[in-house]
Amino acid sequence: MTFAPVAITGMGCICAAGNNLNDSMASLFRGMRAPAPPVSFTSNHPIDYPVFEVLNFSVPSDLLRTSALGLHAAREALADAGLEQEMLSRLTVGVCVGTTVGCAISNETFCRELRSGRTPKLAPLERVHRSNPAAVIAREFGFSGPCQTIVNACSSGTDAVGLAASWIRSGVCDIALAGGADELGRITYIGFISLQITDESPCRPFDRNRKGLNLGEAGAMMVLESEQVRTMRRKKARSLVLGYGSACDAYHLTAPSPDGAGLKHALTEALACNGTDPAAIAFVNAHGTGTPDNDRVETRVLAELLPGVPFLSTKGYTGHTLGAAGAIEAVFTAACLERGEIPANAGFSSPDPELERNPVTENTPFSGTVALSESLAFGGNNSVIILGKGETA
Amino acid sequence: MQIAIQGIGVVGGFGTGVTEMRQALLTGTSNRATLDLSNCGTPLNIPAFRANISRLTDYVPLKALRRVDNFSKLALLGAYLALEDAGVLAEGKQERLGVVIASGYGATGITFAFLDSFINDGDICASPTYFANSVHNSAAAYISIMLGATGPSSTVSQFHHSVPSALQTAWLWLAEGRVDRVLFGAVEELSELIGYAWYRQRGTAHKPEMTPLLTGVESAIPGEGAAFLLLTRKEEAQDGYCLLDRVTTGRLLKPGFLSSPQDLLVLGADGRIEKGGDYAQLAEKSTVACFTALYGSMPCGPALDIAIAALMLKEGKTFASPGGGICDFPASVAAGGNILESHRVSCLSLSDEDCFGLVSLAKG
Repeated sequence: MTFAPVAITGMGCICAAGNNLNDSMASLFRGMRAPAPPVSFTSNHPIDYPVFEVLNFSVPSDLLRTSALGLHAAREALADAGLEQEMLSRLTVGVCVGTTVGCAISNETFCRELRSGRTPKLAPLERVHRSNPAAVIAREFGFSGPCQTIVNACSSGTDAVGLAASWIRSGVCDIALAGGADELGRITYIGFISLQITDESPCRPFDRNRKGLNLGEAGAMMVLESEQVRTMRRKKARSLVLGYGSACDAYHLTAPSPDGAGLKHALTEALACNGTDPAAIAFVNAHGTGTPDNDRVETRVLAELLPGVPFLSTKGYTGHTLGAAGAIEAVFTAACLERGEIPANAGFSSPDPELERNPVTENTPFSGTVALSESLAFGGNNSVIILGKGETA
Repeated sequence: MQIAIQGIGVVGGFGTGVTEMRQALLTGTSNRATLDLSNCGTPLNIPAFRANISRLTDYVPLKALRRVDNFSKLALLGAYLALEDAGVLAEGKQERLGVVIASGYGATGITFAFLDSFINDGDICASPTYFANSVHNSAAAYISIMLGATGPSSTVSQFHHSVPSALQTAWLWLAEGRVDRVLFGAVEELSELIGYAWYRQRGTAHKPEMTPLLTGVESAIPGEGAAFLLLTRKEEAQDGYCLLDRVTTGRLLKPGFLSSPQDLLVLGADGRIEKGGDYAQLAEKSTVACFTALYGSMPCGPALDIAIAALMLKEGKTFASPGGGICDFPASVAAGGNILESHRVSCLSLSDEDCFGLVSLAKG
């Protein structure tokens, strides 16, 4: 199978590193990060685990914060692509969004009232119903194309971009807005603590002393565009989707396969999509959560399949943003390709003798035009996206 | 490209498996049970179409299911039934099999059990097992693990639009050659939470029977169940049900979109008063059928409609629409037991977010 590249003509994001792509990139290259105990909720857990929270962000009362984050990123991406409402209304535009929290029919206050014998109003559940992330974006802009919300845990955002590229190639739509969105909340915070994969300190991906992840929240969106529309409006591509691969470990509900079988499969498939030579990969934006298992498996696979290729995790700047992670990391990957430089892997200081590879420790220039972003997820999902440098850089 | 439906696995109020579903279609009856809401401060039962998952142990040892929640068990049963129906259950590890799951609400039972675990005993006592099972793609993960399916796995959650949207993904995976087979499934469980929400939204004054083809009347009864399809490319298909000709999804469907009124149109109308008018408008001048009264109102219902449509195409006969005798839609309701004259059957579903899905099936 050989797939034609799909152009990315606009990007947007919001995360703890910044409220837009430019600010976020500036934070990454300045090495700035400020994880702290949560502000928007409290916990009676004896330890305050740090999180990467988006501060000073207002959410409409009728929406989930997740959808508001996605919408914020979508507006930036569409503006970046130079797509205005009048033109969009004449095209078939699809929306594909990855999330975890954005589809969860769960509300703690509601549940507490129900369990205490009261009869709570349905308002919190109705808000979830109104806030399906893909539907919110499609509704906001009046899009008529396909609309899908993917819930593949932490690979959701990567999968959304990969699927949207298929939509464009198959002619299902002219333009696709694809990415991910997820908010921080008490339920996921407590859940990840219960799994004992959360670090009490700022996360340290690939470091010898890593103890787990820090949660974060984000929205990130890309505009994928058909060649027909792009040619018609003479729009240059910022980046290109060259390949996408996905495979399941079929091993364990929450732990990656120790031999990285699924990740290898996904990576090989992504490379095959466009016949990408592994030697052409300039860098890898790794999943790099900072959990002992994830980082061990990832470095093992990178050492075997992409030896010598520089890699980093950007989660040291954003936290693990779950369903948004793959999308925001794809956006960062494309932006780094434009810039010709990757930031230092935040949180890494002590090499782990057990790991076969170490990430970059300082901002590192490169000369290649192809990069790779990978996501590993609960459920054994592994997804890889390969991006190429666009024409504007 | 055309896709072939090779196997079907269904479970719901009508029973378990294609044979029991067929029997329910022939008799027009289904087992209506109740959902107990007494733990929700509401000491009552509401009528509901419930699914029985007891046959899962025919395929999976009880010991292997001890940490699996009810939602994933429903999914596993549907998956095994579909593989068995296709005659591929004994093939062992499925390396080129993709798994696509659609669910409107996901695993709400275990999600609320997780909340209970820390509401009752404090944040430090939150259950990691419940949390892991509450992740939306846990059912897909269990299926992949138990079948050794190492192809891609994806879960879509978008209320009543989940089924057609997810089916489009299955289609693309096969069209692009990413996999040789896709196990596509839709799952919904009736948890206390969903039951409570239903009760608060629609009250207890239920009609004795669903009349989904009657506008302006609330007659929906909640349901739970699963419908799985084993899909392959047409060229690689062996004896199966029919071809999946086309999957179209989008928003803001306008009257006149249905360009082939000669095809039988299976409507996802499910007795919810707010959707009846929309279905009636779109079905104008068409020959229609509707089977929701056999399995109830649930977001994964359109997958059961596809299964029923596939069975009609395989047998070349129509099934009567339960409750279809009471109809004010500007359409003709297909009679049961007749020769299926149309070459194609299309299944239409509408969601609350103005999304639509039209899945067209053709004789193989």
